[in-house]
Amino acid sequence: MSTPIIEVRDLSFCYPGADTDTLRNVNLTIERGDFVAVVGGNGSGKTTLCKTFNGLVPHYWQGEFAGSVHVDGIDTWNSSVSELSTRVGYVYQDFQNQLVRPTVRDEVAFAPLNFGLADYDDRTSDALDALGIEALAERFIWQLSGGQAHLTALASVLAMRPSVVIVDEPVAELDPARAHEVYRRLTELNAHGITVIAIEHHAEFIAEYARSVVLMSEGTPVWHLPVEDAVNRTEELEGHGIPAPEVIVACRALGAKKAPRSVQAAADFIRENTREDAWKQSIRVPATQRDTSEVVLSAREVNHSRKGVGGKAQPILRGLNVDLYQGDRVALVGGNGAGKTTLLRILAGLDVPRSGTIEVAGVNTRSRSAARMANLVSYLYQTPSKMFLRDSIEADIRLFPAGRKADDVDELVEKVLTRVRLNEFADRDGRTLSGGQQRRAALAIGLAMRPSVLLLDEPTSSLDIASRDDVTDLLNELSDSIACSVVATHDMHLVSDWASRVLVLADGHITADLTPADLFADTELLARTNLVPPQIVRLGSALGLDPPPLNVADLVKAVRTSAVVEA
Amino acid sequence: MSERKTHDVLSMEWIKLELIRTAYATRGGLFAKMDPRVVLLWYLLLGGAPWFTHNITVLAILFGLGVISVIAARVGPLVLGLFVLSLVVEVINVFVVAWFVGGDVGTLLALSELSLKLGAVSLASMAAFVSLDPEKLSSALLALKAPVMLAFSVSYGFRILPILIDEFSIVMEGYQLRGAPAKAPGFLGWRSVSRWGKHAVLAFYPIFLNVATSVRTTVEALETRGLNHSVTHPEGRRLRLSHLQTGTLDWIVVAVTFVGIVFAFWVGAVAPIHR
Amino acid sequence: MTTTVRTGELRGNSFNGKDLSTPQKLMIFVLSMSLFGLSNILVEVIPEFTIGPVEIALAYFVFIPLVLAALFNPFWVALGAPLGEIIFTDLLLGDFSGIGEIEGFIQMFLAIYIAGSLIRNPLSKAQVAFGAIMIVVIDKFLSAIVDLSKVWFGLEDAEFVEGLPESMLLIEVIGFGVDILLSGIVFGVIPALWLVPKLYGRIEPLMGMQPRQPGKPIQGSTPGIGITVALVFVLGAASAVFAFLEAWGADFGAAEWEWLDTYGPAILLVPAAIFVVLLAGVFVFAGKQRKQP
Repeated sequence: MSTPIIEVRDLSFCYPGADTDTLRNVNLTIERGDFVAVVGGNGSGKTTLCKTFNGLVPHYWQGEFAGSVHVDGIDTWNSSVSELSTRVGYVYQDFQNQLVRPTVRDEVAFAPLNFGLADYDDRTSDALDALGIEALAERFIWQLSGGQAHLTALASVLAMRPSVVIVDEPVAELDPARAHEVYRRLTELNAHGITVIAIEHHAEFIAEYARSVVLMSEGTPVWHLPVEDAVNRTEELEGHGIPAPEVIVACRALGAKKAPRSVQAAADFIRENTREDAWKQSIRVPATQRDTSEVVLSAREVNHSRKGVGGKAQPILRGLNVDLYQGDRVALVGGNGAGKTTLLRILAGLDVPRSGTIEVAGVNTRSRSAARMANLVSYLYQTPSKMFLRDSIEADIRLFPAGRKADDVDELVEKVLTRVRLNEFADRDGRTLSGGQQRRAALAIGLAMRPSVLLLDEPTSSLDIASRDDVTDLLNELSDSIACSVVATHDMHLVSDWASRVLVLADGHITADLTPADLFADTELLARTNLVPPQIVRLGSALGLDPPPLNVADLVKAVRTSAVVEA
Repeated sequence: MSERKTHDVLSMEWIKLELIRTAYATRGGLFAKMDPRVVLLWYLLLGGAPWFTHNITVLAILFGLGVISVIAARVGPLVLGLFVLSLVVEVINVFVVAWFVGGDVGTLLALSELSLKLGAVSLASMAAFVSLDPEKLSSALLALKAPVMLAFSVSYGFRILPILIDEFSIVMEGYQLRGAPAKAPGFLGWRSVSRWGKHAVLAFYPIFLNVATSVRTTVEALETRGLNHSVTHPEGRRLRLSHLQTGTLDWIVVAVTFVGIVFAFWVGAVAPIHR
Repeated sequence: MTTTVRTGELRGNSFNGKDLSTPQKLMIFVLSMSLFGLSNILVEVIPEFTIGPVEIALAYFVFIPLVLAALFNPFWVALGAPLGEIIFTDLLLGDFSGIGEIEGFIQMFLAIYIAGSLIRNPLSKAQVAFGAIMIVVIDKFLSAIVDLSKVWFGLEDAEFVEGLPESMLLIEVIGFGVDILLSGIVFGVIPALWLVPKLYGRIEPLMGMQPRQPGKPIQGSTPGIGITVALVFVLGAASAVFAFLEAWGADFGAAEWEWLDTYGPAILLVPAAIFVVLLAGVFVFAGKQRKQP
């Protein structure tokens, strides 16, 4: 057996001024060619641990360093970030900020050039090739979609031909389809002998792609186990904020001893262990009758285009028509670049379309300034930190009602804070809150504007599962104060858990207007719009349930009618 | 109240696009095709010449050469507009100053000499530096042995510019929507101006923090990607510059410009307009 | 948290409270460059009013480099900010004057560095306000000298245009006043007094640094005061020399160095002398500040 690629012995690390060690007595061995998922709650030290592998700790982030880390036989304490970076590549969670060059090719060639490697051209082509993004080589970085930018960041570390690649929460900033794409590429790299370390808290991805799992807690690894064993410790993982994948929950409920790691494996398990005829009939979810009596927002023949760098107007919306009704919970879905954000901005009256009309509660958006439209409809940005203008979330919530001289400002702020359960953080700057709290704070800002229509852009992206469920619950509670909410999202869990109506935006107009269940049953539509249904829906589809169940309970109910044989 | 429409010009988005177009010389143009080192040489030639004369004939011809260069470089409307505006202000100033000091035609000529001189120099620098995209400029700087950090900053500046402008627009939009509503514009729109100014200042609180957060990742990533290494090791610089090559076009442009300058001085000697 | 004893042997503490690491310097530099660059683009789009020859225009958002210089090491802030101005506005907007940019860079560098060094306690209102004014005063003073000399030497026989020198001086003085009021106070002192305490203790941790301790030398302080004075003086002299170089360039073709004959080489010392007086004032003030607890 070859020597391990990374060997950590009795490692402790303390940031200057910190009371406790961020890492304490870490012992860890990572074998060459492994695909390791590092999991653990916020503040468990997983990012700091990964930064010891390429020398950022202790050479860049300084502090007290005890014990040793050997990477490829090199003692990191005696080495430097430069030397270690030729062996260990690091892709950041906010990877957009690690891209510093104007074009993709320049970006990928950047590190080899800095290190004066004469074969930088070959390295660049190889790295682009390995990830299948040669076609993007001459693109400007700011033209890339999130997924493409992530692959570019990955290519730029691959150009150094590292033995280890560390990827910090790729799912956080990417939609699920892109995240799967990134993981598939990582799996390919892994097959070619590169050790992959991923910081990840989506059990779904861990189960499907990793080979071993390190659970971190309070600065030290709790265990390092092969993935088969790790994913079966569902309670323990749940205790650290990593809920088990839906397929595992479902199969466990159906009596499986060993949890299947992918949708296909789960489907096979259920097929093998049940009598098919029992569950073959699908369960019909009764269609809820929609109340279409009161139109809250209507868009008629909306056309919009944006001038690109080339100077040509690129059409985004073409002849779009839609009516939103009182009580609607609309999920707006569509591929990247379909124009979801543009549409939300137009519906909110932030922008006006080139032609066509938008009426919100009978008011034409052309007739009022964006600031006055804000009384009727509010739009929440995808990145909550963009909404934090003041030095405390309370001041941010207060800004709108106080600016408009509402009489009940204090009362309103208090009420909204309570509603989003952030009273104790009222005087904190929004940026210092955790991801889930930031979303809730942004939501509070929107609520304090007391709109009749609330528009949200990707409210659950880059959240861990617990915070995501939190936001979904909160959205569920809003129906009493908001006439109608629209959520642009890639998150199919949110669609299945919350939405009453799905609008599919493609080719510049609404190509489908249907219920979540109908959406998930339409595989052709899903593929065309680049959507990945939740695992449980995919499992249902794999079993031939039509319409597929939207949650674990429904699936279990559908299958339970027959006895499950011991696995 | 008039109806709202979508504006393509004079919005923040437009400025951003214009700057990006300028920065990356996507308009094409003569100097964009040339070797950046030769463009710098060319700039020294045409940008330097006006300082060696007080002859208005010569300066006028050099100014003309500058105009031709700017046309050849396909300078964008924003940049050109700002230049023309400053030139107009300059001309008005010249007249006002002349009137102010009670001068005659002589004063006027003396002052227009300075304007013409500065104008010719700015035209040359506009043509040259608008055509050099940040990568080329950064290469040229490296070739001239400028510090690695300077060359890097030039190209990085352009990379984050669109991000910064977006950041600013979003924060300003937030204040526009959520801040106290606008009152009547007031005399000469002073209320609108002061409201904008106040918001622009307030906007920097979140911008400071948001940019600091992203700069942290950027600098950390730069460290892992060997920027520091390249400061002390010259191989990187050599490799980066190996693609620079001068061609026939480069020398033709320099030669033509040189002839043009000689011609200007010759005409100046024959038919001087001298104060 | 963990109460267990550390098992590993302590290798050392790579953190040294006094010096800034290279990446930290780079962070300050990049932050300063980006933010000041952005603010300069905004300044470009703000309408300017011209009343006769007097321009009522905002020169820059002084509070941006000032806030950074008050919170971080002013040296790296001073290096980044003028570069941001050059890259973002001058280069992009075609306002780039080639070699002439160096003189602008030095002026701004000196202004920010000196003003920033004066601030020993970022939470002191008086120091921050004084710093804001000083940036404008130093920068504008240096540029006024450069401007005047440009006109003086750029024009053949400028002194023969009757009344011109006097009116130029008057215009410069009025411009100076406008700049102090608009750039120094409205967009300098007032925003800085609001922003510094708000960012203090918030922005430093984001960049992995510790907030500055009032009165204590800032992390990564540049070497002793003597060297600083020398450095500043050399740069000041360089700035003056650049201005004069330009002026010489202007005179190569026609004039025969008459002005040098008229005034003697001592004329070169005039701006340098003024600068030294200014500097002396600055350091007297700085000395007083330090003695205060």
